[in-house]
Amino acid sequence: MKNTLLALLAASVSFLLMSHAAEAHHGWSEFDTNREVTFEATVTDFHFVNPHCVVEFDVKDENGKIHKWQGEFSNPGQLSRQGWTAASLEAGDKFTITGNPAKNNAPAIHVARIRMPNGQEVKVDGGR
Amino acid sequence: MSRIGSLRRLAVSLAVCALLAGNVSGQSNPELSQAQESLHKVATTETAGALHEEGVPVTDPLVIAKCGSCHARDDKGNMERISWARTTPEGWQNALKRMILVKGVSLTAQEGRLIARYLSTFHGLAPEEAMPVRHIAERRIHEESNIADSDPGKACAKCHALALTLSWRRSLEDWKQFVELHSARYMFSPNAEIVAYLARVAPLHSPEWEAWSARTNLPNLAGRWLVIASTPGHGKYYGEMQVDRAGDDEFTTRANLTSVRDGSRTLRTGRSVVYGDYAWRGRSKGGEPASSAPDDRSSEAREVLWIAPDHSRAEGRWFWGQYQEFGFDVQLQRASSNTTLLAIDRVSLKAGSRANRLHLIGDNFPAQVAPRDLDFGPGTIVRGIVSSTSADIVAEVDVAADAPLGKHGVAFRRSVLPGAIAVYDRIDYVKVTPESAVAAFGDSTHPRGYLQFEAIGYQRGADGKLHTADDVELGPVDVTWSFQVFHAPEGSSADFVGRASASGLFMPASENPNRNFDVWVIATARDENDQNGLALVGKSYLVVTIPTYVFNGRKYVRDLDRWVDDGPA
Repeated sequence: MKNTLLALLAASVSFLLMSHAAEAHHGWSEFDTNREVTFEATVTDFHFVNPHCVVEFDVKDENGKIHKWQGEFSNPGQLSRQGWTAASLEAGDKFTITGNPAKNNAPAIHVARIRMPNGQEVKVDGGR
Repeated sequence: MSRIGSLRRLAVSLAVCALLAGNVSGQSNPELSQAQESLHKVATTETAGALHEEGVPVTDPLVIAKCGSCHARDDKGNMERISWARTTPEGWQNALKRMILVKGVSLTAQEGRLIARYLSTFHGLAPEEAMPVRHIAERRIHEESNIADSDPGKACAKCHALALTLSWRRSLEDWKQFVELHSARYMFSPNAEIVAYLARVAPLHSPEWEAWSARTNLPNLAGRWLVIASTPGHGKYYGEMQVDRAGDDEFTTRANLTSVRDGSRTLRTGRSVVYGDYAWRGRSKGGEPASSAPDDRSSEAREVLWIAPDHSRAEGRWFWGQYQEFGFDVQLQRASSNTTLLAIDRVSLKAGSRANRLHLIGDNFPAQVAPRDLDFGPGTIVRGIVSSTSADIVAEVDVAADAPLGKHGVAFRRSVLPGAIAVYDRIDYVKVTPESAVAAFGDSTHPRGYLQFEAIGYQRGADGKLHTADDVELGPVDVTWSFQVFHAPEGSSADFVGRASASGLFMPASENPNRNFDVWVIATARDENDQNGLALVGKSYLVVTIPTYVFNGRKYVRDLDRWVDDGPA
């Protein structure tokens, strides 16, 4: 009986110790910080979620073909402090988005700044 | 876990605790020392009058015998620290564990249970104090997104849920001691502001506590209870639970649940303790042995319920799984001789639809039921009653094309379910819940951590905008599930990360690739299209992670929604 108690105690000892939220789960190293790309784009979806907010957007090339991209931000807590909400970007919004492209040429950027639909330019700090 | 493994783990844990204790006595961070000195001066000055707050006397001989050698008892029966703190059953259990591991207290399992029970019952939280923090005991992920930057509680939330701190009530002096020890153990700078904040929002004495501690009754929960439960991916269940007394504050249970979705039945039997007349803590398991399916509803589960002060209802969660990721959300209502409408099998009705067949679930429905007994709100007509029993009415309902959109109450005579059904014109979008989540690969000592997803339809609400607070939930949508690993070529397989069942259960791959993946969980509606005729799609952001990692010489283990420092690697 006592051993059972000890086993239970041992198994739960971690709760006595310090824990930390699973933020900063990986770095921005997948993105090329030496390059920036800018798109005139149309928002298709905006995810105001942990661990990172993500905007999905369509980019039309010179031939009229649509390419689907995603822009990754910091977490909702950081964006909230800059005034962002889940409704800050809506499907159909036209915007200009700038960021560091993915090193593996995936259609993804780490967002640096956005010119919002109302013309206001917003800096977006990364910081995974 | 083997006994040898347990003892080895205990030895490691003790070493960790000893190391942390060493930090307390041996740390020489001048900045920290200065801050602590400042804290002491300020808090002492501000609280000179509060140092003599009345304690809560300890009367239990076992607590006095086992704790008295360190926690001195005064002539009023107050024991140092213990008499100036109150918390939940889990709070006292963790405090006891810490005393055993760090202070070397020797207790048998039975003594530990009795002490935890006494303290939880007489040094616990009032029901009103426990309600806001019950998600901690229910093992729910709960985002504390409403903590302002200026809120001193933000300091707590940097490392753990603020609700964990607020699961305790302490005198101002005890909060000061707690912050001092906590800051030394975890190497942060204490300050008087946080002490004053905690003493203000979580005081030892409160009107709720005074009222609750004056109670004299033993919990009287025996009898028949009506149950409504739901589990993500499998929908609602209904049934009843017989509760029988098995001691002053102990009960045995026998619950029969029926799935609204497919009619399958589950019998669960269990045993529970009720602390302080409202905090139900128990275990139950299905009548049939649980299968190997991780989400088997017959699995042995822990039960955490909050019982209303008048003992007429209860609510909480029955849960299981490596990360407590599976469970029933449960609501109980004491059965009576009254007719009671409990639930409906549908969440929404489309405007302009006809002959919608609905099950109304309840208790003591009369033998004769007429359409006029039912009311689904303006713009609806009950065409007829298809069948009825004392527990189930099947009705056919028409909804006018111009019926008011939004939530409607549903009534059977005088028994009303407010906002139980939504009338909608179209599904505007699909939300995948949880909207973000963490699943875990397994390893030799950690089973995999699964995730059950659901695709829920929403209507835009009165403001006409999507993703705003007035959007109306319309219930589960029939979807197909797929996955896309971030930055992977479009259409490439995500099987090496995991797969989902048809019901949306994500199962991480059995091979641990020893790295994390960010993954889109994509739900594509089978029958619902957007205004361009394209299938509605919803996404959730899933991180599939390793169960443990080592950083700066320390091992971190994944818990429900965070990483826990498990000591030196």
